[in-house]
Amino acid sequence: MVEKNIKILVVDDFATMRKVVRNLLKQVGYEDIVEAEDGVMALRALKSQKIDFVISDWNMPNMSGLELLKAVRADADLAKTPFLMVTAEALQDNVVAAVKAGVSDYIVKPFTAEVLNEKIMKITESINK
Amino acid sequence: MKDNDLTGLLDGMAQEFLFRDSKDLDIPTAGKLLNHLEKIIEEAQKKKISPIKNCAGSLINVLEKIILNAVKDKEKAAKLFESGIYLMQEIADSYKNTGKYKGNIKKFLEKTDAVIGDAISENAVSESNVPENNAATKTGAPGEIPEKKISSKAEEPIQIQDESLTRDFIAEGLEYIEEIEVNILNLENEPENKDFINAIFRPFHSIKGVASFLNLEKIRGLAHNLESLLDKARNGEIAVTPSLIDVVLDGADALKALIGQLRDILEGKKGESVDLDIPSLELRIHKIEQGFDTELGAKKIGQILVDDGFISEGTLEQTLKLTELSPDKKLGQSLIEEGIVKPKQVAQALRKQVDQVNDLTTVRVDTIKLDDLIDMVGELVITQSMIQQDLKNQLNADKGLTRNIAQFFRITSSLQRVSTSMRMIPIKQTFQRMSRLVRDLAKNAGKNISVELVGEDTEIDRNMVDEIYNPLVHMVRNSVDHGLETSEERAKSGKPEKGMITLKAYHRGGNIVIEIADDGRGLDKEKILNKAIKSGTVQNPETITDLEIYKLIFLPGLSTAEKVTDVSGRGVGMDVVKRAVEKLRGKIEIESNLGCGTTFITRFPLTLAIIDGMIVKVGTESYILPTISIRQALRPVRENYNNVVGRGEMINAMGQLMPLIKLYELFNIEPEYKDPWDAIVVVVDSESGSRCLMVDKIIGKAEVVVKSLGEGLKNVKGIAGGAILGNGRIGLIIDTEGLFDLSEE
Repeated sequence: MVEKNIKILVVDDFATMRKVVRNLLKQVGYEDIVEAEDGVMALRALKSQKIDFVISDWNMPNMSGLELLKAVRADADLAKTPFLMVTAEALQDNVVAAVKAGVSDYIVKPFTAEVLNEKIMKITESINK
Repeated sequence: MKDNDLTGLLDGMAQEFLFRDSKDLDIPTAGKLLNHLEKIIEEAQKKKISPIKNCAGSLINVLEKIILNAVKDKEKAAKLFESGIYLMQEIADSYKNTGKYKGNIKKFLEKTDAVIGDAISENAVSESNVPENNAATKTGAPGEIPEKKISSKAEEPIQIQDESLTRDFIAEGLEYIEEIEVNILNLENEPENKDFINAIFRPFHSIKGVASFLNLEKIRGLAHNLESLLDKARNGEIAVTPSLIDVVLDGADALKALIGQLRDILEGKKGESVDLDIPSLELRIHKIEQGFDTELGAKKIGQILVDDGFISEGTLEQTLKLTELSPDKKLGQSLIEEGIVKPKQVAQALRKQVDQVNDLTTVRVDTIKLDDLIDMVGELVITQSMIQQDLKNQLNADKGLTRNIAQFFRITSSLQRVSTSMRMIPIKQTFQRMSRLVRDLAKNAGKNISVELVGEDTEIDRNMVDEIYNPLVHMVRNSVDHGLETSEERAKSGKPEKGMITLKAYHRGGNIVIEIADDGRGLDKEKILNKAIKSGTVQNPETITDLEIYKLIFLPGLSTAEKVTDVSGRGVGMDVVKRAVEKLRGKIEIESNLGCGTTFITRFPLTLAIIDGMIVKVGTESYILPTISIRQALRPVRENYNNVVGRGEMINAMGQLMPLIKLYELFNIEPEYKDPWDAIVVVVDSESGSRCLMVDKIIGKAEVVVKSLGEGLKNVKGIAGGAILGNGRIGLIIDTEGLFDLSEE
């Protein structure tokens, strides 16, 4: 059984989208959620507090989801953080690029709370093994 | 031979694969394997071991399909992957020992191909699962408009799933669309700027994302189409053309309307049902996406033929489909073979296409540099005329000098002509904005209106474009709101239901003429006249001409009179329009037929940089009066001078008593003559009536280059600017409106 008290960082430039993800997370029992509006803010959050899980949008101004992922993986302290990428469609080039950069998994919009939960559980389980 | 690196890499990968966490390949493992495989390919390439390279390449393909969840039997794929690793190890060993590999990898490659092939066909079936996939967009052949991408689903009642989220979405979505509108204007100016495309792309993308969660299918579909159009523009697959910008703007408008509709539903308002033709908008998007650009840029040959009326859109599409079947055949060829067009017509179209490409050989220049150039050329012209005056007496003596100077003058004036023409741009853009405005206004007013544009290529100084926009907008608005009737009214009076507004531009006598015509109800002379008589504006209605009656609507008192404007349907703020036009040294006229429509004819100078003026002298000072406002110049006789109590000094000119303005008093200079009957008076028009300006003498007519007086003197009343005159001295340009105000203070 995976602990639901992990701290999840939701990164998206569109505030409504962050709320959508937050609501979905709450539906399946995750309560500890922080938000960031782009990659730069996300990195700042990651460095200033302990974050257990990142859910990031792909397409954002300033620093894209892929750039954020690369920055996280390149940082010794953060490298192991689970990273779930949210994309609008499963474009092969995008997904493969993210996978090569070390993404934990990706999820295609729109998704349900159940699918999101499954992905989070799967990722955290494999890490706890 | 050193194969240690390759062996090491293969061993590493084998371990990674065997010791993976879950039975099927999870994403992080797949990522690591992908990176491994890429290194292996690199290494194999270096060592020229092509069997390994090929194996690794096909394994990457398999992995990518696994990652995209596009593989039917994952376990089988994983097994295949495993065998691939062993195969590569075997090949590496063989190379290490013998320097070659005798086995055959063909069988293995066939197996991987089968898995990948499965994946592709699987993809096609499970389209509903993944809304859009790369394979589908990539295989879309040019010329074919894939039906399935157009989200023209039957009208479904919109269901609001989560009220609070929907509210957020409405607010944020509308904000984003505003952002799009700002950025697209930037993009229009710099079509190559990828940042601007990105800035427009992203909001559509975000809107689409949230709309998909809220199950707002129409919004999602439209945003998606716009997004993929912009994606192509961003990747340089299609050019940013005016029609692309138009369709994105229209798309943004439609999204705005859809979101507005959503808000109405949320607030329980019935709301006007938004009449949006989304499918045809989406069709336009796809056409542009595939290079069917109907505006600028090199058009495709087929489109040129359609434009020239040789073939229809339908024929074009049919023939395009045919040519896809035989790719080596050109469209023109097929069209000729089918007997649809004549070879000559195709040749013509081809020539046009080449011309269009030639159009692109332009250089972009900063407008500031251009303005500087024109300014300097202006100075050059002035210096030239100074030299001309200085040399006047000596020239006769020297034949050679005369000839050279004449040549120099000719060059200067063509230089001026060319440099001014460089700042000229077609009025097209303004007209397009205008027709967009009509569309919006018509929608709001619930009227059915089409716009016809004539002479869009007529050129005008780019500095003028912004200036004339507002007055034109006002007139167009008037035509839509008041000039044109509703469809029912039109039907009743036997007119076509669709109203028509025609925007027309052409050059006439150094001016640009812009006509705004509607086929609406026209001005009602009787009613205007009655009102004018009532208000005392018109004293003797018997002698008034039609033209004079129409001019009445430009008077402030009349224009705001509520009854006349509502009934006759004209005149809201027309005084403002007239003032704005005159400020630009333009003129406005009206033609109208009751029941048949009204035409506003405006004339503007092509440029504000040069002014056509009359040079007058007061004492030692020279002033320039804009020719456009001058009606007459005369030397009054003593009897024509009156000093009316309460109204000041008046001159009786042209049968009218007009206030006299003594320039020397106003500007405090010592004149040659202090009495009007010694001096000359110039009758100057303004919207508040005519006045007589008293000056010492008239020097002559001249075209002068307008110079700003600089920040400090910019707001001096009565003076519009300065100019350097032929004698090298400075003359001040009179702003008649300001001068009149000044004289009344």
